Amino acid sequence: MAMKKKRYALVIDSRKCINCKACVVACKAENEVPVGNFRNWINEDRQGEYPKLRMDFEPEQCHHCEHPSCARVCPTGATWQRKDGIVLVNYDECIGCRYCMVACPYDARYFHEESGTVHKCTLCSHRVDKGDVPACVETCPSKVRVFGDLEDPSSRIHELLATRRHRVKEPQTGNGPQLYYLL
Amino acid sequence: MHEFNWGLLIVVYLFLGGLSAGLFFAAGLANYLEVDGQPAYPRIARMGALLAPWPVAIGSGLLILDLGNWYRFYKLFTHFRWESPMSIGSYLLTFFTLIAFVYAFAWLPEDWRQQLFAKVPASWKQAHRLNVDLSAHRKVIAMVGFPFAIGVGIYTGVLLGAVSARPFWNTNLVAQMFLFSALSSGAAALLLAMVLDRRNPIETHETKFLITLDIVFIVLELFIILPYLIHGTLSVLAVKQALWLILGGPYTLVFWVFFLGFGLLAPLGIEVYELAPSLLKGHAFHGSRNLALTASGLVLVGGFLLRYIFVYAGQMSSFHKMGALH
Repeated sequence: MAMKKKRYALVIDSRKCINCKACVVACKAENEVPVGNFRNWINEDRQGEYPKLRMDFEPEQCHHCEHPSCARVCPTGATWQRKDGIVLVNYDECIGCRYCMVACPYDARYFHEESGTVHKCTLCSHRVDKGDVPACVETCPSKVRVFGDLEDPSSRIHELLATRRHRVKEPQTGNGPQLYYLL
Repeated sequence: MHEFNWGLLIVVYLFLGGLSAGLFFAAGLANYLEVDGQPAYPRIARMGALLAPWPVAIGSGLLILDLGNWYRFYKLFTHFRWESPMSIGSYLLTFFTLIAFVYAFAWLPEDWRQQLFAKVPASWKQAHRLNVDLSAHRKVIAMVGFPFAIGVGIYTGVLLGAVSARPFWNTNLVAQMFLFSALSSGAAALLLAMVLDRRNPIETHETKFLITLDIVFIVLELFIILPYLIHGTLSVLAVKQALWLILGGPYTLVFWVFFLGFGLLAPLGIEVYELAPSLLKGHAFHGSRNLALTASGLVLVGGFLLRYIFVYAGQMSSFHKMGALH
């Protein structure tokens, strides 16, 4: 029997985010991200003046786009996309030209000084392949992130996207980003 | 503070790559022009041919040094990815550099060639087989090289223009702008080299040819820059905000004063001032040495600044951060 098609994605309920940055710390520990570099981060948006003011927190990381511009411009094919949608860098093939960093509309990549290659969020593919969820998802105390397979009708993210209004960031780039933000 | 992934080495490489393309084009063109059955500009053709391969060779070296893993550069040639401008560009650049070297070899004076091979040990028999006179094939080599020279000139712009994430770059005009800037730089560099070569003083008809060529390319470049600015300011918000980088933002001064003023309009003015009396009133063309030096020097500075502005400002432009700039 053929393997059922998978499409991994993240749904983010940013209204639940309290900016504790546990996801950032968990990612750093899990993936040995160097000091000064980040695979995920939290955007802060403050508007208005006291007493009429508002502050939003919005976690972000690689969007694991449907049509990743980073993979398109890579001259060696080091950046590639798995069948389940996860966009990865093959570090052995990366020559460190940083064209992908220039081409990423979300600035989700960083240059790993020690290896001279470009790194980014892997959606913790090493954990996902064992049946676990990404470290940022597991650690979040307010359950902001929901990880799952869009092709699986019984999954929680399938249900969330079917029943809740949501948006993606900068869809006009044509990249088809797969981080879904609930409204 | 925005982090720049591509820095000065890339700027220099884009400039040198374009410069070689322009040198090759101008030299190849001069090689084809004849008056009464005799080559019209043989010294321009030779000077350009001998100079053309070096800037791109140095530029490619810088490009490799800029890589995170420079020794992995060979991987560019173990893959071909037609969707990646950099992949296509690597092949273009390699073929162009090779052809430019062959073309320079075909223009080597006989005694230079013999001196060169005298330095090669006599035991290297295969190397001495290369000691052949290619001067009869110059036109063919130039013709083969033209598409590659134009390709390199265009590709340096496409490399940036193809990045949809950077609104400052993402227009086909960048490729044309870089091409005409490259061709203009090539003509100017030839003029500069010929004027500086005191052993073989430049003749007025040669100055006139190079100045005419440069005027044509500068005017074409201007015709690309104007629509770039006009369309940009009339475009969607992201592009409009990106254009702010040179319309009030941090690159405004360098764009308008140093690039457009000193690097484009000033040399254009000087060259038109030189050419106009002979063109419009039939006066003899004099060709001031100092004005030729000034104009060609300014064109080269302008060509460099254009790439500087585009590489840096382009990386600052983006779909999601630009709002914060205002």
